[in-house]
Amino acid sequence: MTTAEKMELLAETLEVETDEISEDTALTDLDNWDSMTKLSLIVMFDDEFGKKITSEDIKKMVTVKDILDLME
Amino acid sequence: MYNIVDLTGRQILITGASSGMGRETAILCSKLGAKVVLVARNEVRLQEAMSNLEGDGHAYYSFDLSKVDEIEDFIKMVVSERGAMDGFVHSAGVGSTRPLKLLKPAALREVMEINYFSFVEIIRCLMKKNAYNEGMSIVGISSISSKQGNQTKTAYCASKSAMDASVRCLAKELADKKVRVNAVNPALIKTEIYQQFLNNSGESEDAKNIMQRQYLGIGEPIDVANMIVYLLSDAAKFITGSCVDIDGGRLSS
Ligand SMILES: NC(=O)c1ccc[n+]([C@@H]2O[C@H](COP(=O)([O-])OP(=O)(O)OC[C@H]3O[C@@H](n4cnc5c(N)ncnc54)[C@H](OP(=O)(O)O)[C@@H]3O)[C@@H](O)[C@H]2O)c1
Repeated sequence: MTTAEKMELLAETLEVETDEISEDTALTDLDNWDSMTKLSLIVMFDDEFGKKITSEDIKKMVTVKDILDLME
Repeated sequence: MYNIVDLTGRQILITGASSGMGRETAILCSKLGAKVVLVARNEVRLQEAMSNLEGDGHAYYSFDLSKVDEIEDFIKMVVSERGAMDGFVHSAGVGSTRPLKLLKPAALREVMEINYFSFVEIIRCLMKKNAYNEGMSIVGISSISSKQGNQTKTAYCASKSAMDASVRCLAKELADKKVRVNAVNPALIKTEIYQQFLNNSGESEDAKNIMQRQYLGIGEPIDVANMIVYLLSDAAKFITGSCVDIDGGRLSS
């Protein structure tokens, strides 16, 4: 998956437009960085990358880049 | 000694027997004298469960219940190798936590197939001549989620409500055949499904609320297995079409 494709998938999961986020966007700056979005992220990792991430993993994420780095 | 839940000589088919409540139920049934037939996918865990059974005459089969169309041949084979069943416990199940936007038909179907379709299909196949003995008791492991809604739990709750509804219908339909059908509806029980729940939402406000209402704490697999063996036994001969809550107080608080 290219970085652009990852960005698109991530934007869809976070329910934002792709041009609203960049690698250094702080997750806490997103309007809807709530428990439902975090859960969507967990499900997306499972569906798209076969990866089981936990709420502990999410707690450690600070910027969009932290998520992108795990998307492989 | 007089034992009201004696299962001596009964043969019980248990799905999801490689783990959690299914495994615990299998072990308890064997202690009460039953022969058990274990079904799940993971052969290593099935063998581990087998090694904990008391007595002999038990068997295990590795089978993926999401292959609903193959269940008929599978049950035929099991019955031809093991003989008729006196009990069936459906503990196989998957938890599913999915926001609506990620709940595509394939995800919905997967949960329904394992938690619900396979339950009805196994019963249908067991109701053939020589596949069951009169007095057979069927117990599905449903959940209190069949009665309570929660965000992201659409597929899971629906699969359990479907099971409850079928229990009521099948109980009446199969009464003439002297077959009883019931469900047990546990709240949070300490198994792998509970661990998944903790991983996904353990820290959330929702999880804290749940634990406040479930004031006897987290249940253990044996708490559910005890009720299942009771329903399997003749002591429960007047109970059919029921969905029995095992919830540490949760629904009453
Ligand atoms: N734990 C709770 O808090 C709770 C509360 C209410 C209701 N329940 C219900 O109780 C039942 C038992 O759950 P548990 O907590 O004991 O969970 P568990 O430890 O995860 O056990 C689930 C069992 O289902 C089997 N299984 C899953 N998918 C299968 C498939 N495709 N084909 C065949 N077997 C399959 C698993 O075996 P393999 O992986 O080897 O196939 C395992 O033996 C489930 O129906 C669950 O919904 C659980």
